[in-house]
Amino acid sequence: MKVIEAEELSKHFLVKQKEKGMKGSIKAIFCPQTEEIKAVDKVSFGVEEGEVLAFIGPNGAGKSTTIKMLTGILYPDGGRVEVLGIDPVKKRKQLAYQIGTVFGQKEQLWTHLTPYDNFRFFGAIYDLSGGETEKRIAELADIFELADFINTPVRNLSLGQRIRCEIAASLIHKPKVLFLDEPTIGLDPVVKENIRMLIRQMNRELHTTIFLTSHDIGDIEKLCKRIVIVNSGQIVMDDSMEHLKYHYLNKKIVEVKLQEETELPPMEGITIRKRKGRHVRFEVDTSVMKINDALRSVDAEHVEDINISNIPLENIIMEIYQSEGRADGL
Amino acid sequence: MLTAVKNQVRVCALSVKYNVMREMLNKVTFLTNILFMMFNNATFIVQWVILLRLRDDVGGYTMREVMLLWALAASSFGLSRILFARVFSLPDLIINGKLDSYLVQPKNVLLSVMTSETNTSAIGDLLYGLLIFCVFCFQVKRLLLFLLFTVTGAILMTAFALLMGSLSFWFVRAEMFGNHMVGSVTSFNTYPDGIFRGTARFLLYNVIPVGMMTYHPVHIMVEFDAAKMLMVFGYLFLLSAAAVFVFYRGLRRYSSSSLMEARM
Repeated sequence: MKVIEAEELSKHFLVKQKEKGMKGSIKAIFCPQTEEIKAVDKVSFGVEEGEVLAFIGPNGAGKSTTIKMLTGILYPDGGRVEVLGIDPVKKRKQLAYQIGTVFGQKEQLWTHLTPYDNFRFFGAIYDLSGGETEKRIAELADIFELADFINTPVRNLSLGQRIRCEIAASLIHKPKVLFLDEPTIGLDPVVKENIRMLIRQMNRELHTTIFLTSHDIGDIEKLCKRIVIVNSGQIVMDDSMEHLKYHYLNKKIVEVKLQEETELPPMEGITIRKRKGRHVRFEVDTSVMKINDALRSVDAEHVEDINISNIPLENIIMEIYQSEGRADGL
Repeated sequence: MLTAVKNQVRVCALSVKYNVMREMLNKVTFLTNILFMMFNNATFIVQWVILLRLRDDVGGYTMREVMLLWALAASSFGLSRILFARVFSLPDLIINGKLDSYLVQPKNVLLSVMTSETNTSAIGDLLYGLLIFCVFCFQVKRLLLFLLFTVTGAILMTAFALLMGSLSFWFVRAEMFGNHMVGSVTSFNTYPDGIFRGTARFLLYNVIPVGMMTYHPVHIMVEFDAAKMLMVFGYLFLLSAAAVFVFYRGLRRYSSSSLMEARM
């Protein structure tokens, strides 16, 4: 069952344009010029119940705008959108009872209050009774390990603790869908891993559908089974992580340290990426030649050290960002 | 329906409570803000005492009416800024895309936004208004009218600020115009209406809601007039409806932003 459905979803913004300098400023007063920016351009996709979806793209690709349309913050200019069968434009409040949102760049908690008081406030917002809120706070404090700082004002918490509280607050009403917009931004690797673990746990135990945007490849690799890549307001790829790896991880990077400088024979499927003295780095296209055939081209007796690795997912995604219109290609 | 209203009121009350709790974090600042606002307002009494020694009345207002005017202006302004201070910074929320956190809550956006900030010094205004009323103009019947007009005045002030602030959905530069318009309400509120003639008088009774906020209420408190009372309530209804309509129309144009921000 699909919990999120978007069809031809579009959002355009009119952005003021000004020529440089004072002359431009004066001209802009009398004849203002605007340019239409297609932030989201006829985007269609669906998300199944219980799915963890990565919605990624470079800055300005339209990720946050899409999330904001799905949550009822922004009105779409065109297309149709339904979350849990509810139109966010027409029934924003009704939808808000069933979804949770965490914007990594925008705090929703009151910084002068303790997490406990914040949770009480959020409980009231979602019409929970005092007893229900208390029970839920106890559950969340247990899951997110908040006990040590639940009575410390939010402004005195570390960033990692704050984000844990932000996520906990967004779950106070047991949402069916959770929108996470860069939840791990600015966090150190240990805290990031904790947050990821909590998100996984939430998805597994509560069957919460997760819609995630992030620039952190680790978030995507470790959490998501499906990935949607957007660029310039359009979907350039919508596929499972497995397929992504299958299609793109057919290239291996081989780094070799030789005992003496040697020329590698040119072969189809091998591309030399870097050569510096006795160090050589080359890329092997495993769809053209097997990796062991590639290794045979290197004289094993002269190899001092060797390392074989996959192309980093980051590079793959960058490549996809740069190749618009490849949605049909995969 | 009733439960929804009850829950909304509960959230608004909690929001105001937490705002006041935030302001009270720094006890000294909290108290000095209130006291200095009262002193600040009190300095104007001296000005009026001197003026009304030189002549019997100003624009038909004697000392009693002037004090009623001041009391009502201060208390209305104070109540508006205690409960709905965020309305006065609405352009900032709109221009910098800070309405997101209110829009993802299952509550009335407008009420959630309006009650999300409290101005401490406004407590001083409200107390000052009540004090001036009790010292210079106290009567039991008049007190009831005074409390009623404090509420209507606060709603009118808030609605006008909301209307002006909502213009920022369309024009970025409307912020300055709106601020001037809202500021003019505060300025004209403390002068007798009798000194204004022609266009100025027309504007004060029709465009800038000063006439309905303070002038008519002062006249009613001095001598009850049902027609004026109806005009105040009629204007209140129309202005509030217009402000809410414009806000929600504007909200469709809201474009959010990706600025880093914290809910302070």
